[in-house]
Amino acid sequence: MEFAELIKTPRVDGVVLHRPFMPTVEGTLCLTGHHLILSSRQDNTEELWLLHSNIDSIEKRFVGSLGTIIVKCKDLRVIQLDIPGMEECLNIANSIEALSTLDILSLMYPFFYRPMFEVIEDGWKSFLPQDAFKDLETMTDEWRLSEVNKDFSVCPSYPPLVAVPKDVDDDILRKVASFRHGGRFPVLSYYHKKNGMVMMRSGQPLTGTNGRRCKEDEKLINATLRPGKRGYIIDTRTINIAQQAKARGGGFESEANYPQWRRIHKAVERSNVLQESLIKLVEACNDQSHSMDRWLSKLEASNWQSHVKEILTTACLAAQCIDREGASVLVHGTEGADSTLQVTSLAQIILDPACRTIRGFQGLVEREWLQAGHPFQQRCAQSAYSNSKPRQEAPVFLLFLDCVWQILRQFPCSFEFSESFLVLVFEHSYASQFGTFLGNSTAERAKLSLPEKTVSLWSWVNRPQELERLTNPLYEANSLVIWPSVAPQSLLLWEGVFLRWNRSSKCLDEAYEEMVHIIEYNKELQNKVNSLRRQLAQLETEDPLLQTP
Amino acid sequence: MEFSEHIKTANVEDVVLRQPLHPPGRGTLCITGHHLLFSDREEGSCRQVLLLLRNIDAIEKSVENLLTYSSLFSNAGLSQRLSGSSGTITIKCKDLRVFQLDIPGMEECLNIARSIETLSCLDIVSEMYPFFYRPSNASLRDQCGLSSPERHYSQMKELHDRWRLSTVNRDFSVCPSYPQAVIVPKSTDDDMLEKVAKFRQGGRFPVLCYYHKKNGMVIMRSSQPLMGANRKRCREDEQLLLAVIDGSDKGYIIDTRSSQQALQAQMTGGGFESKSCYSSWKRLQRQMERGKALQESLIKLVEACGDESNNMDRWLSKLENSKWLSHVQTALSTAGLVAECVERDGHSVLVHGSEGTDSTLLISTLAQLIMDPGCRTLEGFLTLLEREWIQAGHPFQKRCAHSAYSHARLQQESPVFLLLLDCVWQLWQQFPLALGFSETLLLRLSTEAYVSDYGTFLCNNQQERCALGVKENTHCLFQALLRPGERDCYSNPLYEHTELAIWPSVHPQSLHLWRGFFLRWTPQTHHLEEAQEEIRNMVIEWGKLALS
Repeated sequence: MEFAELIKTPRVDGVVLHRPFMPTVEGTLCLTGHHLILSSRQDNTEELWLLHSNIDSIEKRFVGSLGTIIVKCKDLRVIQLDIPGMEECLNIANSIEALSTLDILSLMYPFFYRPMFEVIEDGWKSFLPQDAFKDLETMTDEWRLSEVNKDFSVCPSYPPLVAVPKDVDDDILRKVASFRHGGRFPVLSYYHKKNGMVMMRSGQPLTGTNGRRCKEDEKLINATLRPGKRGYIIDTRTINIAQQAKARGGGFESEANYPQWRRIHKAVERSNVLQESLIKLVEACNDQSHSMDRWLSKLEASNWQSHVKEILTTACLAAQCIDREGASVLVHGTEGADSTLQVTSLAQIILDPACRTIRGFQGLVEREWLQAGHPFQQRCAQSAYSNSKPRQEAPVFLLFLDCVWQILRQFPCSFEFSESFLVLVFEHSYASQFGTFLGNSTAERAKLSLPEKTVSLWSWVNRPQELERLTNPLYEANSLVIWPSVAPQSLLLWEGVFLRWNRSSKCLDEAYEEMVHIIEYNKELQNKVNSLRRQLAQLETEDPLLQTP
Repeated sequence: MEFSEHIKTANVEDVVLRQPLHPPGRGTLCITGHHLLFSDREEGSCRQVLLLLRNIDAIEKSVENLLTYSSLFSNAGLSQRLSGSSGTITIKCKDLRVFQLDIPGMEECLNIARSIETLSCLDIVSEMYPFFYRPSNASLRDQCGLSSPERHYSQMKELHDRWRLSTVNRDFSVCPSYPQAVIVPKSTDDDMLEKVAKFRQGGRFPVLCYYHKKNGMVIMRSSQPLMGANRKRCREDEQLLLAVIDGSDKGYIIDTRSSQQALQAQMTGGGFESKSCYSSWKRLQRQMERGKALQESLIKLVEACGDESNNMDRWLSKLENSKWLSHVQTALSTAGLVAECVERDGHSVLVHGSEGTDSTLLISTLAQLIMDPGCRTLEGFLTLLEREWIQAGHPFQKRCAHSAYSHARLQQESPVFLLLLDCVWQLWQQFPLALGFSETLLLRLSTEAYVSDYGTFLCNNQQERCALGVKENTHCLFQALLRPGERDCYSNPLYEHTELAIWPSVHPQSLHLWRGFFLRWTPQTHHLEEAQEEIRNMVIEWGKLALS
């Protein structure tokens, strides 16, 4: 690999950097294989280190011999570089274009990044399926951990270990896998401790036009039902789309073959539509016109908020079936790797207090997104500014994070993490020095030896100084199910992501710090009061004469 | 006065009350001259709801159809039939709360509804509740109001060189909507003022409302000049304004109407300051919505907020259609413009529209909040409201007679003051540390302006208040809000004094719907309040710890 070939001009002096809400910086621009660096070589000024993989698109302009490159990042930031010299500017622009679109995974920065911090706990090993299963075993013995996929041959997008009903053997699983889209046979996603109900997820059944059935599939999912109980299948597609899927070999569970299950269709949008929605939303947010009507109608036209609402509604429905109806649930759409995961993971946020802790949320992302085979590499290849033709890009994971933020905003005391944690996860899902979000599945990650060759995002997050920054000062653990309001009036635009670079957050940050300060001081005082009380009690027991009359 | 004439049924048992954020309760309903009282009779609870009848904006009743009912039970006696029937009254309040009362007995239901309808729109001011409200912890001899023009003037020593306090209006004959004392340039004597008053609509001659200590520049406000179609001029008016500038090169007139509106006004006797007669003033037109249009905007917004169709597109387009946020944006950017003229460019400003009692006050108030740290404390803010709204003659009685639910034909209603509170809230959330008061205060004021135990917001101007003895016979809201126990809930625990001007962002993306107000009675706003409450409690706790 020769990055040097792509870099004609590695450095230019006298470059001026403009960033939103920061003073302009003049300095030297350097290009390396993975970074764009601007340094003023003066103390006290922040340098810019930008990963090429964070760059979504660039635009160049010339006025005389002064060139300007506008760099639009996947985290939605837009920066401007004024570069003296037309040739230098063109060279730099060409290099950035080439380096930011390299898609050979093994050349990505995570393979070169060496941590400058002490790894206390290896994030690659923190959330293994076998550990999650141990927790499950303490609650129920109705499930087993199957190794049927240990060489990824049954389902390439599943992890080697999956939890399935105890009575279903691996042969059955193989047969079921051939009946489900992408081999994604139904597996356990969540066990609701309160009433023993479960949530499963899968790909669509391949019934096709002539209504093929698979007895093993029926047996598998029926095995999760209590005697005499019915379950719900939540299909994230409308009935029309599900019908159409039959023509292409897909389909849905018919009432005749699955009499114990009630099917509910919801309309969660997918891929292309979502990507377009994101592009429109970001364009609206960057609109400089002062017209309130224009802003509101652009916001409406982007449909982003409608998607948020639809996903949250479907997740609430799944959670309701489990917690209120006392029924088990199977969730799927087409492939079962996008909208399905949005629904199953959000339902867990609603139902399970453990998912609302920092560690629990990491576990949820690992389990329900990374190990469950959400194709991050494909979905997050480009973000809202890209000019290239969208292929498989879709902000599915960003929408999930947006929904989590909506719940967090509605229940500000129920989450151990603050908004900044969600923003951090968003950034790293699109561009990162860590290997966590590389690849599309566990199989791909294993092939690339990511756990051995790269550092996990969680290794970095799970250190005291980072955790402190990401903790919600208002958090008070509660064991309740939290039902978010999904009324359109209750859902807000996630400004922390979408208007992050369009508004100065100085005043809001100050207020936040002040609040943190108040809470810390309060804790300190409470500790003091408690220790004084203890002292008093001790004195009273030691010397009865001191007792107050 | 006989309230009892209007009350046929004073008491009904076994009424079911449904209200937002609470489970339904069963109990006794009572109607008095001023209140609707509901007391919960259920085991283990003693909930009471006390609602001023004046808070009721609209009432809807639905009773079971007597005919259908009687045909079904034709054998039953009439009285039994009536007592067996029931009705439902939906009460929509000016604070946007909606109650529902299920009342057994059709006649009772109809009587109650009729009483509420009559008593909630009685508009004889001296019979309103503030004249009867006698809290045990306050006396009518307590100080009324926070400040007076006299005190304001005497506190502002730096004014005294160039400005004087004029009592030309001591008997309200020069300008009925002005207070008895106003601040004017020293070189302008009372005779001149009387002449100027004749040249300005409603007698509202230019008076000082803000003095910027940093550079000695001022904000003046007035009503439009009455130049009319034949371009009348008034030398005294020109001299007065010249005296305001006093040597500096120019001043700005911010006219809150569009140029076209100003031209139209000229045809009907009003007008604007022409370039030729006021050569040292530069006029800027900034169109602000007023009157009916504003009221309709509020009605549309409230309707959108109550929409239960659960459709995101519909909500966003209704929000857009209401135009409310555009009005917020215009108000804030116009106020920003005024503040920019004064603070950044160092010029004095005169603000007026037509009457000078609505958008003019909105702009002058917001501009002061932006520039003057003294206005941003709890006392400072209340004093500002007293000066710029109560004393300056905003016609509260007319503007706040009805709110968003009323079916009555609109007369002079307009939510100008509510728009002010919304704008202040926008400032508050863009600068969470800079304002010494809390959202709770803004919410409280939003209700009090429409309906109150206190006399502060009664009447349309000081003259009317004097005539009715409001000062002597009612209690003062602002004093009550500053009492030690109350003060805690209305202070901002995060407040830190800053001398700097706070420049609000008026980008559409920066302005938000004031959910605390408009969605106040929906459950989810509640969780946010809890978090804020938590912080407030902590701060109060420290106060106690620091004392002990």
